[in-house]
Amino acid sequence: MPDVAKPSGGVAPGYTLSTGLGSQALAGLALVALPVGLLVTLTLLPTVRMVAATFLVEGHLSAERYFAFFNDAYTMANLRYTLEMGLVSAIAALSVSFGIALYLRFSAGRIATMIHGLSLFPLFVPSIIISYALVRFLGPNGLFQLLLEQVGFTQYRTPYLTPVGPFLAFLWENIPLPVLVLSAGLSQVSDHAVEAARDLGAKAPRILWEILLPQMRRSLLIAFALIFMGIIGAFTVPYMLGPPAPEMMSVFMQRTLGNLHDPASAQVQAVVLMVISSIVGGFYIATMAKSSAGAR
Amino acid sequence: MLSRRQFLATSAAAATLVSTRVSAADIKTLQVYIDGDTNISDWWNNILKPAFEAAHPGHTFNVTITRGVADGNRTIAERALAAMQAKADPQVDYFEEIEPAAVAGSVEAGLWLETSEANVPNLKMINPAALQTPIRMPYRGSQVLIAYDSAKVSNPPKTFADLVAWAKANPGRFTYGRPDKGGSGSNFVIRAIHEGNGQDPAAFTKDNFDAAKAEEMLQKGWAILKDLHPFTFGEGTYPAGNTPALQLLAQGAVDMIPAWSDQALQAIKNGVLPETVKVVQLQDLALCGGFAYSAIPTNATDLEGALALANFMLSPETQTSCVRDIGGFPGISWDNLPADLKAEYIDVIPVSIPTYPSGDWQTAKNDGWYKNVATNIVRD
Repeated sequence: MPDVAKPSGGVAPGYTLSTGLGSQALAGLALVALPVGLLVTLTLLPTVRMVAATFLVEGHLSAERYFAFFNDAYTMANLRYTLEMGLVSAIAALSVSFGIALYLRFSAGRIATMIHGLSLFPLFVPSIIISYALVRFLGPNGLFQLLLEQVGFTQYRTPYLTPVGPFLAFLWENIPLPVLVLSAGLSQVSDHAVEAARDLGAKAPRILWEILLPQMRRSLLIAFALIFMGIIGAFTVPYMLGPPAPEMMSVFMQRTLGNLHDPASAQVQAVVLMVISSIVGGFYIATMAKSSAGAR
Repeated sequence: MLSRRQFLATSAAAATLVSTRVSAADIKTLQVYIDGDTNISDWWNNILKPAFEAAHPGHTFNVTITRGVADGNRTIAERALAAMQAKADPQVDYFEEIEPAAVAGSVEAGLWLETSEANVPNLKMINPAALQTPIRMPYRGSQVLIAYDSAKVSNPPKTFADLVAWAKANPGRFTYGRPDKGGSGSNFVIRAIHEGNGQDPAAFTKDNFDAAKAEEMLQKGWAILKDLHPFTFGEGTYPAGNTPALQLLAQGAVDMIPAWSDQALQAIKNGVLPETVKVVQLQDLALCGGFAYSAIPTNATDLEGALALANFMLSPETQTSCVRDIGGFPGISWDNLPADLKAEYIDVIPVSIPTYPSGDWQTAKNDGWYKNVATNIVRD
């Protein structure tokens, strides 16, 4: 590492020749050395140590803790709930954002600009604020209920403290990012392709299905991976809006560590969640790699 | 920009101004550490600080808030212990709240100053229920009470059985917070456990925890709470903390909750809760509560000032402010406070303050509640 971090001028020319690295490449490596170094020392090493620790039970190698995790009905219910919440919220957020991105792609004018601005607005609102806002708006005797009662609907049951509460917050929170990703994707679809299809008499659904969606597959996968990973790791929203049980893994993990003082189990929970995130993350990287290879 | 001459002239003027009063260099600043809630740190900064400065000219204090930072005041105490061993400045003179026994090795090392009537005269007025030990001074307390909207509840419960009966007769109008997320819900769950075990808090001690026995004893509490579960707000949705529970009461979503005395009284005073909200304590066995204990490290730079602050904290004036401004219970006996104050708070003055041990009992209670009560969900 220290060799890489040295300024390129300090490296003997013979060395650069033998490795085939030019001084420009070395300068590049020197630039990434710091962030990579930080990543390795502050993230990767502790992660490896933690994962190793979960397999050490009283000095012996054992997967005992993982058996305990997968055999505990309560824990499994929490895991299932977390994944379902991630899946359902991500798909819902993706559908809504896809609609917005489509509208923005094919419309112009003041209204479109306004909708664009509005759709990015949640990006600037912290989770804690949206959580409180939703409690006040959708909560019992909140504004929404009062409005419904004005028009004679009195059967309202608040989603606050039920799974629907965090779902709505996740939906709201996760519109801007996919709108950005999908808008970028849609801008690559050529107008000519759409117009040509239209000239041949294709209706909107057919254009969507056969022209837009195939070209959008990568953008959709990338957006899905990003929001899914964000949701299954989210803490504030399920903590404040969700039901007491089942718990989302982040809330469960925090309680296991902070309240039950059981770091060993919390680590196992973290590793399981990390593995799931890595699978989705790997998916994301593979898609990104493919799309940048395709661009060349 | 000031010219050099102007600067010298103004400095000289400022110097004469200061010298007529207490010179700035002579003001001794005590370092106070607080990890309690905002209501406590605000009270210290906005009300106690000017009062202390007026009562002790030449003295002031600086509040450092450690709430949510590492382990709060415990971390600062560990630092003071390390400073003691290294003979360095601990940079702390006063802990607003600390449990000396929880700071490993600190008691043995002599980190805590012993206080008595000899060095803190006002300790002679201390409330005997507050269990003062030489190294910590109880100075404010709170207890969980039942807060209810008197506009909806005409006959507030006097016993735990009354409370359960009321909740069942009024489905969805009672709730309590999740026990791990705040003391109000936690102490209600403990009260149910006490109810299931002959209303005997003494059955639970720090040293008598045994997993099998605990399971059996806690099950009696779970039975009561599971029975109550379908009648609580949202059929068992339990708010995630003290504030969310108060919020449900404030929004009129429920009519009755367990709440911390200080939080409820302050919320009523500030208009966060409607004026019709009243508080009451159960008469058969009260809900749990406790005192906040202050302590002074022996290696504080300004021990004399710290002792003066301790005495100031236990003065009837400060203790009255504790009741009036933050809704807390006084650390000194009520007899030393104005009679009208006592009359005003008669409903909430604790006769007894039951406690429940920390450690394994807490863990078993919190995890047991999630696995037995919270999962007992019947939703459509």
